[in-house]
Amino acid sequence: MKSYPYLRAYMAGITIPTVMLIFLITVFTIARYAFNLSNPIERMIVFPMAIVPNLWGLWNMLFLRLRPHRYISIGFHGAILALVQTSIAIGLFKLIDFELPEFAWRAWPFAFPVIAIGFYLVWKHVVSFFNTLLGIDG
Amino acid sequence: MKHLNDEQFGKFIKDAFPPVTGAELSGDLWPRMLRKLDDSRPRFSWFDWVLAGVAVLLCLIAPGAIPGLLYNL
Repeated sequence: MKSYPYLRAYMAGITIPTVMLIFLITVFTIARYAFNLSNPIERMIVFPMAIVPNLWGLWNMLFLRLRPHRYISIGFHGAILALVQTSIAIGLFKLIDFELPEFAWRAWPFAFPVIAIGFYLVWKHVVSFFNTLLGIDG
Repeated sequence: MKHLNDEQFGKFIKDAFPPVTGAELSGDLWPRMLRKLDDSRPRFSWFDWVLAGVAVLLCLIAPGAIPGLLYNL
């Protein structure tokens, strides 16, 4: 299976956020309708639905492109994505005038390291596994 | 230039390439494929355990970090 390596990298990249989406939507729907969370979540749901999976696919394609040039490990490549992705998310919130809940801003200094660590581990162990499965050694 | 007919050409090819021996499979290749997949998977190192521990600790200190992680995954 030597053809279309970038397409395979894209498919391996989008798997995790696509699977996670169902859990995210469940949690946010319960928060919105069962606990009457006042924030209009549907305005910001486009980010995890459309942008995140594509970003992960493209990020994995970028890893495939850079890997021959003695690039960093896939785990650290994923951790860098945390910075890129959260920056895009915050930029998007500003663009659509979305007010993050107070607890989210308070938790941000803790949330960012958690996201970076989570990304490092997921990319190192899960995306790398999908890459191997699809014939792209991660 | 000497022209060869089909029979001569066949003999010429047979002489040029040694007969293939041992071409049969020695066994089922699938277990080897599974082993290769398993070997190439990075193991959970002590560094990963430390990182996972730090992440859990941070989530306990600030549970608001959990939706942040979920939102970005």
